[in-house]
Amino acid sequence: MKPGAIRQALILITLAVLPALGEAVYFRNKVSWQSRLSASEIVTVDQARSWSNGVTWVDARPAEEFEHDHIPGAILLNEDSWNELLPQFLEQWSPEKRVVVYCSAQSCNAAAEVARRLRQEAGLNNVFVLQGGWESWQQANR
Amino acid sequence: MAFFSRSILWRIIDLIVGGIFIYAGAIKAMDPIRFGLDIDNYKILPWAISVRLAFYLPWLEILAGLALIFRFLYRGGLLILSALLLIFLCATVAAKVRGLDITCGCFGHASQHWSFSQHLAVDLAILAAAVFLWVSERSRLRSSRASGGLALQGSRGTKEKL
Repeated sequence: MKPGAIRQALILITLAVLPALGEAVYFRNKVSWQSRLSASEIVTVDQARSWSNGVTWVDARPAEEFEHDHIPGAILLNEDSWNELLPQFLEQWSPEKRVVVYCSAQSCNAAAEVARRLRQEAGLNNVFVLQGGWESWQQANR
Repeated sequence: MAFFSRSILWRIIDLIVGGIFIYAGAIKAMDPIRFGLDIDNYKILPWAISVRLAFYLPWLEILAGLALIFRFLYRGGLLILSALLLIFLCATVAAKVRGLDITCGCFGHASQHWSFSQHLAVDLAILAAAVFLWVSERSRLRSSRASGGLALQGSRGTKEKL
């Protein structure tokens, strides 16, 4: 490989910093820079159960998994059918209840994403992600 | 004539590969938080690095894609895109081996439902195109050097005659 290619690559690598910095400044208050979800956004099964006003459970898994089994009373709301399911969710949503979103396990991404969209697109405030997802619910109910 | 048609083919591949990376970069630049979550799903890097990369990598892809299309800092752009593809391929295979169920995030929502084999096929196809562009760039440089050398010899010959 010619040294010219490396030099050119270094120029591009440096140039890319500028728009990235600009975007990071624009998003500075919308991103959690230190952890994927801030501690205040995550709840355990026990914490959610202890809330006296009750919880609106949101199942962010695919429809087939929801149909197979889900937390009693949970509402299906996933990204696959977001536009169709969001109005149905909002009909059942009540402002005094906190919303807890879950997906299949600790490693899944869907719950965090649905929670983020509920905050940003639907303007809801009390939205949380269930730590450990469906797996932790099952373990807690064994 | 054959060289001319080959040059057109190279340019078309330049435009396709560059266009793919500009598209992929633009989608991710529009939603860097989501891309950060996608990087984090690979469980390779801590979140603090994943989220910073999510702001940086899309712009690197866009600039490298533009370099290919406009042939400005061309080899640098090609080097970056090839390296990104290799890293991405390794990360995808590693995630599969570790049994992680992930969305790659390469093309935003468009690639959300791609299977592992579809990801792999697309990545390998783009990597093959990048390798082809490296080979063609090398042969282009070699032929331009050879024609430059011939021209130099020709001018020397003329001087000697004079």
